[in-house]
Amino acid sequence: MTTPATTGALNEQQVLLSTLPPSRGQKRLALAIVLVLLAAFCVTMPFAAVPVGYIRDFIPAYAAAMFVISSITSALLFVQFSVVHSRALLAVSGGYLFSALITIPWALTFPDLFGTTDMAGTTWGVLSRIWRLVFPLSVISYTLLKDDEAKTAWPRALSYFAVLLSAAGLLVAADLVTWLATTTRELTPGGLLFSVIDRAQADWNALLLLLALFALALLWSRRRSVLDLWLMVVMCGLLIELCLITLVGRRYVVGWYAARVYFLVSSTFVLAVLLSETALLYARLARSVMAQRREREARLMTMDVLSASIAHEMNQPLASIVTNADAASRWMARPTPDLGEVKATLHQIRNSAYRARDLIGSIRAMVKRDDRNRVPLDLNDLVREGLALTERELQRNRVSVEVELGERLPLVNGNRVQLQQVLVNLITNAIDAMAEKTWPRILRIESAVQEPGGVLISVADTGKGIDPKIVDRIFNPLFTTKSNGMGMGLAICRSIIEGHDGRLQVSAGAEGGSVFQFVLPATSPDRANS
Amino acid sequence: MQHAPIISIIDDDESMRCAVKSLVTSLGFGAYTFASAEKFLQSPHLDHTSCVITDLQMPGLSGVELQKSLLAQGRRIPIIFVTAFPEERLRARAMAAGALGFLSKPFESETLIKLIDKAMETGRKT
Repeated sequence: MTTPATTGALNEQQVLLSTLPPSRGQKRLALAIVLVLLAAFCVTMPFAAVPVGYIRDFIPAYAAAMFVISSITSALLFVQFSVVHSRALLAVSGGYLFSALITIPWALTFPDLFGTTDMAGTTWGVLSRIWRLVFPLSVISYTLLKDDEAKTAWPRALSYFAVLLSAAGLLVAADLVTWLATTTRELTPGGLLFSVIDRAQADWNALLLLLALFALALLWSRRRSVLDLWLMVVMCGLLIELCLITLVGRRYVVGWYAARVYFLVSSTFVLAVLLSETALLYARLARSVMAQRREREARLMTMDVLSASIAHEMNQPLASIVTNADAASRWMARPTPDLGEVKATLHQIRNSAYRARDLIGSIRAMVKRDDRNRVPLDLNDLVREGLALTERELQRNRVSVEVELGERLPLVNGNRVQLQQVLVNLITNAIDAMAEKTWPRILRIESAVQEPGGVLISVADTGKGIDPKIVDRIFNPLFTTKSNGMGMGLAICRSIIEGHDGRLQVSAGAEGGSVFQFVLPATSPDRANS
Repeated sequence: MQHAPIISIIDDDESMRCAVKSLVTSLGFGAYTFASAEKFLQSPHLDHTSCVITDLQMPGLSGVELQKSLLAQGRRIPIIFVTAFPEERLRARAMAAGALGFLSKPFESETLIKLIDKAMETGRKT
């Protein structure tokens, strides 16, 4: 299977943190952060048990920072959820919201903070453990859910409702947990559970470590998106924190403080990266929307230009016909009619009339939408046929052809002749674009499944590329860079593709040249070709 | 016919060139055709051309630029412009620079013939 080039208009995959694949730079940054954390961990280890004493402002400051970071991260992820309605995203954003909420009672029950309260010292430990239990579990649910989700088109109101409901649910849950953890332990089943959580600290730390490790391993085995990458960093931060805490086993020592600082640092980094990533995506999205708007405006304007161009094109043969006819009558009216001249002018008249006919024909073909003759087509067959049709031209111009056809392409409902015309046109254009260049002349055709429910064909050449100044106009009718063309080719291609509810676009090739791509909707989502 | 005045026809559209040439020769004039203004300017026929019929929009030098170039060389050859894309601004500019006429394609042959006659008259006067 081939991956489509990520140029031109954005698709869904390119605007969501949960689907956007991480770039090499991001992977390096994530690795660097993890390595720094590890190094810090190693440096801290020898001094981990050194007592520092009780720093009064540490816990409130830490809790406030964690609260803010977790809330913003959860808001960020909830927004992503409201776009794609993925239960996986709901799980992880819920995990972050719970983290934020639990921070409040956690800070309030810290033993030495508010003097002697009836919130016993053990409550704080219980809340810590619950948090370290819930957060990795939410990440694990995210990882398990993220890959096999049917895309459901939820109404917008419903997704808001889901966000509100989970927020409210988590608020209640956090309250409940706090209440249970701070009140009598022996009387209720919940209380009994808490007394379990309260005991055997070492066992608990081992369990939590294993859980975090499992979450990390699971994320690693299913890593795909930017979000996966940064959640792994968070899990590394959590693991290091847990290791330090398990190893020192006491409060107010270097390791105890360092553990919290490291986790805070990793969370802050992840939030910063997610925020900047979101901002970048927003910018990219905004640019894409504006480009689309410009294109639409250009196409509206085109109708103006089109009518003027048609008038110009039509007047040419008409003028020739009129003038030739007048000339012919003059040759006839001579005392000795010059029949040779008459014949020549009549011939000219005929040629001009044919020219006008061809022009009208191409305009008609451009405007007409023909729903008859639509049959299920395998675009791979069409590509092979298109290459066969242009084989001689390709050989004559010594163009080498690279073909990468996706397997199990869904079928496309379309007019075979029209779509073949598009392919041949694109191939011919590619040959023409490379005609002036000596080497290398490579025509590259790819086909692939384009989610959701589409088939993508891309025709790339290594020619001179398209001048950015004219790239907006190449699909305009009667615009041409060729001396022998009328400029209808790409305009017709586009109208054929759009007549099939698809889209045709062009972008610059990665190594020069240009890439024409069209996407057509598949007939049924999972019909594999035999 | 040896001394028939020469009319030079410049148009990038071949069918139009031939049509005008046919019309002009049917009137008894000599005619040369050129696919571009540059070709005409380089041609030896430049010196005995009595009248120029030129397209306005052409690849390379446009009709108006040809007019400018001829004036710069001090040649006052009467020029008749023909265009399929009439634009008032260009028309005004061409006429201001002393063009004899400005025709929109498709034009009536009678109008062109009258303009050619006018060109020949001015040619005789100078």
